[in-house]
Amino acid sequence: MTEQIDKALAREYEAGFVSDVESETFEPGLDENVIRRISEMKGEPEWMLEWRLSAFREWLEMEEPEWALVDYPKIDFQSISYYSAPKSMKDKPKSLDEVDPELLRTYEKLGIPLIEQQMLAGIAVDAVFDSVSVVTTFREKLEEAGVIFCPISEALHKYPDLVKKYIGSVVPKKDNYYAALNCAVFTDGSFVYIPKGTRCPMELSTYFRINEQNTGQFERTLIIADEGSHVSYLEGCTAPQRDENQLHAAVVELVAMDNAEIKYSTVQNWYPGDENGKGGIYNFVTKRGICHTNAKISWTQVETGSSVTWKYPSCILKGDNSVGEFYSVALTRGRQQADTGTKMIHIGKNTKSTIISKGISAGRSNNSYRGLVRMNPGAEGARNFTQCDSLLIGDQCGAHTFPYVESRNPSAIIEHEATTSKVSDEQMFLCRQRGLDPEKAVSMIVNGFCKEVFKELPMEFAVEAGKLLEISLEGSVG
Amino acid sequence: MSEWLESAIARAQGINDWLAPKRAHALELLANTKWPTRKTEAWRYTPLRPVERTQAKVISDKVNLSPVVIADLSAIELVFVNGQFDQAQLAKALPEGLSISLGSELGSAEKADALSIFSTIKPERHIFGLVNDALAQDVVVVSVAEGVEITQPIRISSLLSQGAESHTRVQVVLSAGSRLTVIEDVQAQGDSFNTAFVEYNVAANARLEHYRFALQTGSNVAIGGSHFNLHDHAKMNSTIVGFGSDLSRLDTDIIHAGEFADAKLNAMYLLDGKELFDLHATVEHAKPNGKTEENVRCIVADRARAVFNGRIHIHRDAQKTLAELNNRNLLLSDKAEINTKPELEIYADDVKCAHGATVAQIDKQALYYLQTRGVSRSKAQVMLNFGFINELIDLMPNAALAEWIRPIIRERFAQMEVK
Repeated sequence: MTEQIDKALAREYEAGFVSDVESETFEPGLDENVIRRISEMKGEPEWMLEWRLSAFREWLEMEEPEWALVDYPKIDFQSISYYSAPKSMKDKPKSLDEVDPELLRTYEKLGIPLIEQQMLAGIAVDAVFDSVSVVTTFREKLEEAGVIFCPISEALHKYPDLVKKYIGSVVPKKDNYYAALNCAVFTDGSFVYIPKGTRCPMELSTYFRINEQNTGQFERTLIIADEGSHVSYLEGCTAPQRDENQLHAAVVELVAMDNAEIKYSTVQNWYPGDENGKGGIYNFVTKRGICHTNAKISWTQVETGSSVTWKYPSCILKGDNSVGEFYSVALTRGRQQADTGTKMIHIGKNTKSTIISKGISAGRSNNSYRGLVRMNPGAEGARNFTQCDSLLIGDQCGAHTFPYVESRNPSAIIEHEATTSKVSDEQMFLCRQRGLDPEKAVSMIVNGFCKEVFKELPMEFAVEAGKLLEISLEGSVG
Repeated sequence: MSEWLESAIARAQGINDWLAPKRAHALELLANTKWPTRKTEAWRYTPLRPVERTQAKVISDKVNLSPVVIADLSAIELVFVNGQFDQAQLAKALPEGLSISLGSELGSAEKADALSIFSTIKPERHIFGLVNDALAQDVVVVSVAEGVEITQPIRISSLLSQGAESHTRVQVVLSAGSRLTVIEDVQAQGDSFNTAFVEYNVAANARLEHYRFALQTGSNVAIGGSHFNLHDHAKMNSTIVGFGSDLSRLDTDIIHAGEFADAKLNAMYLLDGKELFDLHATVEHAKPNGKTEENVRCIVADRARAVFNGRIHIHRDAQKTLAELNNRNLLLSDKAEINTKPELEIYADDVKCAHGATVAQIDKQALYYLQTRGVSRSKAQVMLNFGFINELIDLMPNAALAEWIRPIIRERFAQMEVK
């Protein structure tokens, strides 16, 4: 059966094409000069450069984390190019007409048309290509509502005070090895500010694309939802199919002020490498949000790509009555390795968190849930519920659960449960008896397994996620 | 490396006896082991300051100590006093099929057998297990002949006088189809330091009933392990009762080395004051059709800290494994702390595995209910706490032990409540 599964799973990676775009790319290597050059290219204020340099100095002293259950050769940080941008972007095109058509075609091919008339109404997109943001759509409409949605490099010019106040406030510079590296060399990403009492009129979305060879992508996203505001943000990503591994080390910071709500959804589909584990993206990401009083942050992620994933979207529940949620589906196949989960740090009174994690392992992959729930002494009446389910498809894969539960408040209640199972013969028999072919049956069973998470996704993403899983699992049982 | 470890290594280097190759190996590993800090996963929540500060010394003068009496138990007593095996306290006539002897006094064939087991069941990752390899005075070897059922339980007691340091080591070998009950117990007078490790090799179809009582409290450092190797159709049932001390750490490893092995582990710990108790329970399912059921319950009062790490590792070959771990914790005070980590590491698909962990306080409604029935709040609290633990005591197969431990636990709850 395993053989058949492997065969069935060896599907094409649809986003694996390379765009023929002339780029300006830095020579590989990393030192203070490279950081100065990035900062200069972006025309950043002096304090930003200082901030980058101090992060770099911290990073030099830090050690690569080894605690995750992933195995990959040591990364040579000197062999990576830290900046790459399409040449056509140098003159900062004023409108879509001036943008290189090849770039637009790339996004169209990926199913993300950037011409507003062609888009699904109600989603504004920031398209990041290697190290720069190509275009941000629907800006006027958003500006009317007072919402700021622009590349972070632009925000540094237009709203330096906001950026200065919040950057690094949720994920400190020396938080971890990859976050520190990101602080030093980050290139672009999105900046969102939702003013007080505003409900963002449309979904915001950033689409990240790595195109250039031997580069890393180091994006940085900062979302601030001011008091009583609401925003739903979507993130997508793909990369070409290559034999070399590429590094993606992003930092995402969310700030939900009193009574604000941020919903952050990700469909991660970086190139996962081939069946033998050759190539693919190393996805080492730090995502964290802070919730003030009555605020809510909800992370939903569907992880199907990357050869190695190391990612723990977390919530610091600082304000009383704040709520953190984490809904995750992680699918690994081939030789993919995923070590992902969340941290819920309960500081305020009556804070609540929910963690639903669904791991699906197939082929020769390894899929781990690693999570932390901490109730601090002040977390009076706090509550956590965690459920981690793993589904194994085939006998060569692994499914693991590493939950850390720390409680220092007697009135806090924590519940954690985890189960592991496989697609059972009985389930398959029942479906087939009802006339479903094996592929449909598996897809249905897996979809059912993930349902609790999918229902949290915005509609367009739920469709995409469902499709992704279907393709990935095509014919997985013979 | 800490000063304490350096001096331990220095002391071990002088020993030349039948365990020499094993000791040398342990010392080699120790030389390459980093002294655990908060960043060392296995000691993340258990700071080693009490070890670094211990003033405990090896006491070689003869001291007369004997284990506390457990009514109706009539065990075969195997007693260590300050780390030395006290042969005088061992019964002269042992039941047929049972032998208990010092490893150094065994014949060469038996010595070779003992060496082939030594430190193969206890994993090498445990830094104090290596210290025990290097410093244990000898190994006491208990073995039961094939098919023999020993009805009298064996009780291994490690007794420590004030300020004593001790390292005890026992090997228990159950031959095919045999049955045995073993009780492990440490009693310390204060300011002591001890490591106590026991390795069990349970052959095909053999059955082991096991108890470990870690009831020493106060200024004692107690680090130990019970490690089990289960062959085809072997069965074990283990009960652990722990109170905390300055530092109490217990590691259990259950290895399903054969098919259709069956393991049950029920552990309960009740902590008070500034005590710390750390239980690391690891289960390795290396072969198919194994079954494991673990229940761990913990009550933490005052400023005490409880640590639990429950790891279940299902190897690629271990299809059709059933493994379950249930961990429930009660926090009684706002200065107390619980850190628990139930882990699953699964490499086989046709298995049923689950774990659950909860942390909460006593059910307020239950408390209220009892108060409406005229039970005082503090009494109600003791009743509910006791009920939480008593479910596991009821599962103890040995009635004499259950009767002995029940009032001890009740007393402890009453003390917790007084504060």
